[in-house]
Amino acid sequence: MRKTLTFLAATTAITAGIGLPAWSAVRASMDQDSLPIAAAIGSEPRAMSLIFVSGNDDDDDEGERSRGSRTSDDDDEEDDDDYDDDDGDATCTGVGNPAPAGTMAPPQNGLFGNGAPPQAQVN
Amino acid sequence: MKSLLVALSLTTALVMPAMAMARPVTLTTTLSNYGGDGAYLALYVTDAAGAYAGSLWMAGGKSKYYKHMTDWYRATNGDTAQIDGITGASVGAGRTLDISVDLSDALFDAGYVLHIDAAVENMRESPKEVSIPLTTDGAGTPVKGRRYIADFTYNM
Repeated sequence: MRKTLTFLAATTAITAGIGLPAWSAVRASMDQDSLPIAAAIGSEPRAMSLIFVSGNDDDDDEGERSRGSRTSDDDDEEDDDDYDDDDGDATCTGVGNPAPAGTMAPPQNGLFGNGAPPQAQVN
Repeated sequence: MKSLLVALSLTTALVMPAMAMARPVTLTTTLSNYGGDGAYLALYVTDAAGAYAGSLWMAGGKSKYYKHMTDWYRATNGDTAQIDGITGASVGAGRTLDISVDLSDALFDAGYVLHIDAAVENMRESPKEVSIPLTTDGAGTPVKGRRYIADFTYNM
């Protein structure tokens, strides 16, 4: 009888020693597996991290802009056709382009009559 | 009846000078095959004293290139208001620019000279490529340019 009690206590101790860590590990992994479900439901604060990821994309864009400035510079050059002049500062001084023919009357410089405004054709 | 004739002659006398104050003129500029990009051309007039009187046409719409038409630019200080409403596209090599314009009679046989400054990207500037006195006798007579203009003619 005494031997039986001793054996029972020993097996209980062994079972507890081995079983408790194993049970804890299983529970922890179950908790992790449950995260995507929580995110899908959207009730967990961690679900917001999905939005945060797109914010990181923006950061990457900025990074690209600062790192790979070649592309954006090219765009600038195309847009600033007015600036690409080798030695052109006319635009930099704020002088704009003239109004094309047909969009307004010719200047009153005394050269033109009162007839039809000047017209041009390139052949 | 007599008063009607008087009124008619009076109105004719008033209207005729107004009609004769200007005349339609065609300015024809033919470019040579100089083998470059489109040429910027500034057509302008100086008076008998050689002072800038005004611009007739600007071929080329980007003001950043105007300084390359050096004489026009010096005369106007690059003022684009001088060419508002009389600006068109640049003219390619070998092509002909026809400008129809109603010009004041006072410009002819009075010492006025029509000038054309030309400029082509990456090529030499050519101020006063053409300089031609505005006379009734000179109409229809082609004038050769110095560098980019094969010939220029004005017809009335």
